Amino acid sequence: MPVDITKDEIMAVYPKVAQTIADALGCDVEQVALNVPLVEGLDAESIDFLDIVFRLERAFKVKIPRGQIVEDARGDLPEAEFEQKGYLTEVGLQRLRDYLSEVQADRFRSPMKVADIPKFFTPETFCKVVVRAMRAVQGDDSRGRASEGTGAPNTDG
Amino acid sequence: MDSGLAGKAVIVTGGSRGIGRAVVELFSAEGADVTFLFRENTAAAAEGVAAGRAAGRQITAEQVDVRDPQGCAAAVERVADRCGRIDVLVNNAGMVRDNLLGLLEDDDVQAVLDTNIGGVFNVTRAVAPHMIARRAGKIINVSSVAGEKGGRGQTNYAASKGAVNAFTRALAVELAPRRITVNAVAPGVIETDMSQAIRDRAAEEVKSRILLRRFGTPIDVAYAIWFLASRYADYITGEVLHVDGGFKME
Repeated sequence: MPVDITKDEIMAVYPKVAQTIADALGCDVEQVALNVPLVEGLDAESIDFLDIVFRLERAFKVKIPRGQIVEDARGDLPEAEFEQKGYLTEVGLQRLRDYLSEVQADRFRSPMKVADIPKFFTPETFCKVVVRAMRAVQGDDSRGRASEGTGAPNTDG
Repeated sequence: MDSGLAGKAVIVTGGSRGIGRAVVELFSAEGADVTFLFRENTAAAAEGVAAGRAAGRQITAEQVDVRDPQGCAAAVERVADRCGRIDVLVNNAGMVRDNLLGLLEDDDVQAVLDTNIGGVFNVTRAVAPHMIARRAGKIINVSSVAGEKGGRGQTNYAASKGAVNAFTRALAVELAPRRITVNAVAPGVIETDMSQAIRDRAAEEVKSRILLRRFGTPIDVAYAIWFLASRYADYITGEVLHVDGGFKME
């Protein structure tokens, strides 16, 4: 699924995302280049990703469900077609390449474990997550305002 | 002795009575800003808050069932918003529904597991990110002697407390890199409502199996929790500290 997020949107949130990541990893913000792999480049561990997401939620006042990046990458593809026995299918791998377009395509090689997906995360990955979460909040707000205006119930739809 | 607890933001689950109440009183007397969670005993909770505040202590109560993940998360967020951080978590809320295995109702099993270990998961999952972000914190889980020693009619309770011990050791490994310690205390028979039945039924027989020949008091356990929350326990993690007077079960 192509990622419908513009570079402008990414760059608008990048400074704050970079500072948040730097705070979580205890490094200088200058080290947090947009496309540095967080695991290989900045020694991030799995617990750091939890910390980063927690801090981003507070910094941007958004909600980011755990596992959201993989879910977004999978999109409307049924789970069984995305992964099998913990490994990405060829279709799943292509979905991931498309979603993590900031990562060089040849870095995604089959066979690839689902558990290894975070190794590819970069600050840009989290910028996209934040942009999507902000859009969700704005969408909720506008839906809420619309229902207030019409008197209709505010449903999840 | 400076425990380092003055000014610390502390959450105690099951804090309206028993061991939890003793922890709330002890920590708040040290100058900690204590929030306790309680499920249903509104009168006891209000009395605890009023008594503490009359003594000039910082005590807040939040009514939430620890079996409710969303309720726990919301309560923790309110504490974090008010205090700006969470320094200490005492997972104390628990219940007993003793009976022989063949006589336990499904709900007797589920309610005990959901409260005693499910509640620990729910509250800790809400608190841990705050501690991880600050790279500091102390988590103390209240387990039980039943978690390690067999006791008739306690399969549900013993299973839940054994799980608390295992949870404690595993989480200690997980959070150590963030300088967060995770420990447990394992009380024996303590003079609380929870142990009233066994103390009424077989007080002398039970005491005969306690090396110190008396039941424990809530403050006996609270002191152990205080120690694990204090700076004196900065180098202790993944441990289960028994506070049972040398109790031997059969």
